[in-house]
Amino acid sequence: MQGTLFINGLSGFLIVTALLVALAPRPVQAARFYALQSLVLVALFVSIAMTTGSTELYLWSASAFVTKVVLVPVIMTKMFRRLEDPELGSGAVMPAALSIVGAALIVILCYAVISRVTLPAALPLKPALAISLAHFFLGLGCIVGQRNILKQVFGYCLMENGSHLTLAILAPNAPELVEVGIATDAVFAVVIMAVLGMRISKTLGSLDARKLTTLKG
Amino acid sequence: MTPSSLPLFILAGPLVIALAILLLPARVMSLRACEAAHVVSMVLVFALALAMTGQVLGGARLEALASWLYVDSLGAIFLMIIAVVGLMTGLYSLGYIRHDIEVGHLDMRRAKIYYGFFNLFVFTMLLSATANNIVMMWVAVEATTLGSAFLVGIYGEKTSLEAAWKYVVICTVGVAFGLYGTVLVFSNGSEVLADPHQAVLWTSLAQNAASLDPSLMKIAFVFVVIGFGTKAGLFPMHAWLPDAHSEAPSPVSALLSGVLLKCALFVIIRYLALMVRAIGPEFPQTLLLTLGVLSVVVAAMLFFVQKDLKRKLAYSSVEHVGLIAIGLGLGGPLGVAAALLHSINHSLAKALLFCGSGNVLMKYGTRDLDKVKGMLRLAPASGLLLMIGALALSGFPPFNVFVSEFLVFAAGLKAGHPWLMLVCLLFFTVTIAGFIQIISGSVLGKTSEGAKPGDVSAATLVPLGILAALVLVMGFAVPAPIAKLVADASAIVLDGGDPVTVASPWQFGGTTLFADDNGLLATPAAAAEPAAEKETK
Repeated sequence: MQGTLFINGLSGFLIVTALLVALAPRPVQAARFYALQSLVLVALFVSIAMTTGSTELYLWSASAFVTKVVLVPVIMTKMFRRLEDPELGSGAVMPAALSIVGAALIVILCYAVISRVTLPAALPLKPALAISLAHFFLGLGCIVGQRNILKQVFGYCLMENGSHLTLAILAPNAPELVEVGIATDAVFAVVIMAVLGMRISKTLGSLDARKLTTLKG
Repeated sequence: MTPSSLPLFILAGPLVIALAILLLPARVMSLRACEAAHVVSMVLVFALALAMTGQVLGGARLEALASWLYVDSLGAIFLMIIAVVGLMTGLYSLGYIRHDIEVGHLDMRRAKIYYGFFNLFVFTMLLSATANNIVMMWVAVEATTLGSAFLVGIYGEKTSLEAAWKYVVICTVGVAFGLYGTVLVFSNGSEVLADPHQAVLWTSLAQNAASLDPSLMKIAFVFVVIGFGTKAGLFPMHAWLPDAHSEAPSPVSALLSGVLLKCALFVIIRYLALMVRAIGPEFPQTLLLTLGVLSVVVAAMLFFVQKDLKRKLAYSSVEHVGLIAIGLGLGGPLGVAAALLHSINHSLAKALLFCGSGNVLMKYGTRDLDKVKGMLRLAPASGLLLMIGALALSGFPPFNVFVSEFLVFAAGLKAGHPWLMLVCLLFFTVTIAGFIQIISGSVLGKTSEGAKPGDVSAATLVPLGILAALVLVMGFAVPAPIAKLVADASAIVLDGGDPVTVASPWQFGGTTLFADDNGLLATPAAAAEPAAEKETK
């Protein structure tokens, strides 16, 4: 019982760290907050593993630590360090306060959807499950509400973290290869998006998504 | 299930060749060596796909890698689409890329990258069509984006980079929805199945679908349709498609439209089959029908107003994917079979027309339809092939697209949706008008002043000739093996149902008929009768 309470409580920190990623002024800072948020995710994996006794989840925690806490943030920090667009500022299209209110609304809506699920594994962890779904949509919001193309990459990372938590809650005994497949693909996706982002920055001299509007109709 | 090494071989071929082209230095892998390896790879894929399809037609269901790979009739259809269009666009690439090098659009290094990523792209699509592991299915679809993004942006110009960025971001985000849907289905399955390792296999999930949680499955299907529907180009998630299709090299546009969209649809069809077994057909079919009709309506209007040939063709793809979704949404053996047949027919016709647009680009150096005039006089063979493609995609008989469109509309009448079919027909008329514009102006119109007469090289004409022949053959009579594959695949999707035999309306003998409600054989027109009669009364 205490274990599930802890997991539900800890999952709330995912929303806080997601907002930090989304609202960070520069991509390099966002990469650091993303590492922090991934650390919270790893802590959640370990907690769920301890509660359910799933050995697979311990392995996930280890691979998630390597890929999400270390590898992806390091790649992003190295690639994004030299790319700046001072004209763009934080790149956010709406004020921070509005983003926080929006996040709260998403969590409430997701809780309403998840409350209808009757899967036994989900029952004690419904708040955490709702947060994992909300986290997914927060990632989408981070892409839609962001003009800096490099910071849009973090939106995808947040969506992917949300899916990962859902998987851990609903299927803690999933084979390790499932997790490895998802994590590897995510790393490739981030690298390819980052490479394309850098090429765009070199060609256009800007990171502003609003300048990528030549193709219309 | 029959253990087989063929699924492994078909994946290994293009992967190994892609890695060899990309990793070996230019002094070992010259352009000529890249081209030779590329052709070997595409021919190998075609031969292996043909061999596997032969075994599937003989009643086998092939599996490999502890059932992670699986090929049944449904998979074989999409495997053949990849193999045939992959081979034709692969051969077409030889002449097209050499022309791009000659005019300075590409250098040797980029041409090498092109062939490497082309093979990688084909590999990822083959993986999605052979995957039985639903997580691997998602990984494969996601990998198709990553494999083809550099192909879309290969020219390195501002517009192509913009298209590549939109393509990667929209599709990766879209497919993240697919991941969430996959996770929900897998999680649901692992609760039901004693061994969680089995919950990752589509075949096991299909066998135990009745025990899955209905609410979770509905949520999962919404995520799946949004996710893989983005990749399939369904409205309103299609925003990436016109940009990527128009900015990519023409053979890649043909692959994107003819094959990639179908691979994403294939995954949706696999999930549709699960949903039919888990929660019944009503919810998934309504969702697909709605998105399908919206896609047809919006795409037809946007198609008509385009002045860029490749953007026009891209919107036509959205429309035809919409029609396939309509077929799936109408359901029943006829609707699903019509959708599957349309997937094949659209792939062939669209590959023909996109490669034809490549010939236009080589000849005129522009895609602007106001500047492309009189192709038939200037380059007769290319003009004729372009006209065949345009007529086929307009849905004129005796071309193949007419047959499958006819069957979709027959399925609509049979399912009791005459008004919906009428609306779709009206919007297809708009499309016909758009294609007539292309034919009357760009193909038959007065030649632009200063244009040099003479056709493009034989290397870029022969693959188009073969595609045109296939479009005609499939229109005159659906070959019996394809009709059988489609009928078997329809039964897989619907978990049984009435037997259906697919054919063009003018095939009155042999296997050209399909069963009506009473188990009697009927022509497509007769199949439409019950609904039509109801309307009259």
